[in-house]
Order: sequence, then structure tokens, then C-alpha cells
Amino acid sequence: MKSVAVFVVLCLGFVNANLKCEHKIPDIPQAWIDMDNSCTNVVRDHVLEELKAALQYLAMGAHFSRDQINRPGFANLFFKAASEEREHAIKLIHYLLMRGQLTSGVTGLINNYKLAPNVTVWTSGSSALKDALNLEASVTSKIRELIKVCEAAPAFNDYHLVDYLTGDFLTEQYEGQRDLAGKLSTLEKMTGQHGELGEFLFDKELL
Amino acid sequence: MKVVLAVFAAILAVASAAEECYTDVVETCNNPSLKQEGVLTKCDAQYGGIVSAESDLQKLANSLIHRSFDFLLMATHYGNYIKNRPGFEKLFRGLSDDLWEDGIESVKYITSRGGQMNFKNVHESLAADAGSLELYELHSMSKALDIEKSLAKQVFDLHKETANHRVDHYDPEIGHHLEEKFMGKQKETIRKLAGHAKDLGNLLNEERDPSLALYLFDQYLQK
Ligand SMILES: [Fe+2]
Repeated sequence: MKSVAVFVVLCLGFVNANLKCEHKIPDIPQAWIDMDNSCTNVVRDHVLEELKAALQYLAMGAHFSRDQINRPGFANLFFKAASEEREHAIKLIHYLLMRGQLTSGVTGLINNYKLAPNVTVWTSGSSALKDALNLEASVTSKIRELIKVCEAAPAFNDYHLVDYLTGDFLTEQYEGQRDLAGKLSTLEKMTGQHGELGEFLFDKELL
Repeated sequence: MKVVLAVFAAILAVASAAEECYTDVVETCNNPSLKQEGVLTKCDAQYGGIVSAESDLQKLANSLIHRSFDFLLMATHYGNYIKNRPGFEKLFRGLSDDLWEDGIESVKYITSRGGQMNFKNVHESLAADAGSLELYELHSMSKALDIEKSLAKQVFDLHKETANHRVDHYDPEIGHHLEEKFMGKQKETIRKLAGHAKDLGNLLNEERDPSLALYLFDQYLQK
């Protein structure tokens, strides 16, 4: 409320005595907003997790794009994955908006300084695929934790959100993990005897 | 024979900086211990001013990514049921999507010139700007305009660096990249946002409650 008052004063003082910068806050019943805070908070936190994954994939894309690494197929795979992770974050935001959430504390939803990836160099395509698979596994287990919290929320079992997380998010996790594991398996077999040539050929498959 | 080759390689190294990679290959192929390591260190994609511009290019890429998230949060604020302004939400989400794509393209560009990305190399202007993104309509429009102008300034500053005629800075290819990928688009975006801010300012400059004007303006933004 105080900040609203400051805004009004700023508007009136700076720009024009008649400028109406703010509008009234409507009075809307709250009974439909039924998400439990414990559940809301873990979903909010997970938005950041998805964006962390996006930046981690972006770092992988950057690494494999380098002239001294030159694996455009791997880079392509990881750049695409980065944008997909960002889409996951946006899907969660849209879900929260649909449930009447995010009317406050929106600015704190994303902390840019927590996003920068720590690992930015990989010894081979195979080591990056392993990291990607482990990253997905850790996201999967975090989604399972979300489901647990939202099922056991003090207010009520939030089965609508749980259904969404299970049907939409977990399906994508399991399909994505299978895909990465399959790629890694093929690559490992190709590089077993043929090393560099195996990775070179596999990279072109990913273009 | 070996001596002759070594002298030959030395002459090559001195005579021609432009044949660094070739010299590297000749040296490595003729030296048993280097051959065993099998690493060519001078066959990279770097030329022109990339080494001196790399850090600023990293900062630009990070600014684009960071600002894309700022716009995503501004869109989110307008998507909640209290604000309920799908036009503003669409506008800011569009700006977010554009900057995200530009960020990825900038990372690719750095590597196309033989550089590396560093996600922790952040421009000073970002650290100084940590205010709330949950703003009233006119405020959010002015914020968006300022953000786009700050990005345009970063592009101009970098362009100026690459036009510096010191040998290790001059790089018209980077300048060309900045002109082609950013300048036209930024001009359009800045003009559009300035127009919106001006219109909104005029519409809200009345004795009446601004709610209807904001509603109509939001309808217009949805188109
Ligand atoms: Fe994800």
C-alpha cells in the first residue's frame, strides 16, 4: 500500500497534475483461490529449477558450438533443449495464474543470479549426454517431491495439479530420459572401437 | 633432413603470421613428441578483434537473457486475475521471446568467431537495476522502453569498440553482425514502445477514472 502511495506521489509530482497513473483494485471473492501455500511455494520454486536447466543446456550448446569442439549436432540438440526448459517454466507460470496465484511476489519468482550454470566444459559428447540425463533425473525427482507436497497439503489434496504434473510433466520427463539414454547408448557403442570417428559421425546424426 | 625441416618451419613461422595453422601442422607432424600429443593449438577461428570484443559480447548475451526474464515476469504480472490485461501480457511476452532468441543467437555468434561464452560475465547496468517489475500500465510501458534503450546502448557501445582502429580492436564483421541482427529491430521496438507510452500518457491525462482507457488500450494491444 505504501509503495502505491509513493507511485501516486511520483506521478502527480513529476509528470502532470492530472495524469492518472493507477487504477483501483477490484474487490473479488477469494473463495475460488484454493491452492495451499505449501503447494504454491514449491511450484513457484520449481519455475526457477526449469530455468536453471534451460541455462545449463544453453551452456552445453555454447560448448559444443566452439570452433575447438565443433560438434554442431550436439549443440543443436542442447540449444533446442534450452528453449524447451524455458517453455516448461512458462507452463508452470500459466498454471499458477489459472489458479489465481501470482498476484504478488512476481518479481522474486526469477533470480537471475541463481541461474548461471556452474559446469560449462565437457570432455566429450558422451560426458555431456550423461550430465543431461542426470539433470533430467534430478528434475524428475523434484517433480515427484512437488507431487508429494501438493498431495499432502494441509488444506486438501490438490489432485488437479498432481494430475497435471503427472500426466504432462512426468510424461515428458520419462520420454526425454529414454531418448537421452538411447542416444548415449548408441554413442557409447560407436565410440567404443572408433573413438573420434564415432563421435564425429554421431554428431552429424543430431543435426 | 631434420635440420632443414626445422629451419624451414622456423622461416615459415617468422615469415607469415597468416600461416600460423599451417606452420603448427608442419611443426607438429615433424616433431615425434608433439605428434604423439596430436594437438593443434593454432588452428582456430579467431581473427580481427574478437579477443578484445569477447567480454562485451558475453555481457550483451547475458543482458539479453536476463532482460528476457524481466519481460517474462512483467507478462506474468499482467496475466494474473487482478491485472487481467491480456494485451499487455502479450506485448511483454513477445518482447521476452524475442530477447531469449536473440540471447541464444548471440551465444552462437560468439562461438562462430572462435570465442567462448561466460554466463557469469554480467554488464554493470544489470546489477544496478533490481526494482519491482509489478508495475502499473504506464509505468511498465516506460520500464520496457528504458530496458530496450539500455540494450540498444550496449549494442552501440560495442559497435564503437569494434570500429576502433587499433589493430586488435578493429572488426567490421562484428560491427556488421550488430547492425544486421540488432539495430533495425531495436529501432522498431523502441519506436513502438515510445508510441505506446505517449498514447497511454495522453489517454490517462484526463479527469476521468483511467480504467476504461486502460481497458481499450489493452484491447488494442491484443490485436
Ligand atoms: Fe523441464
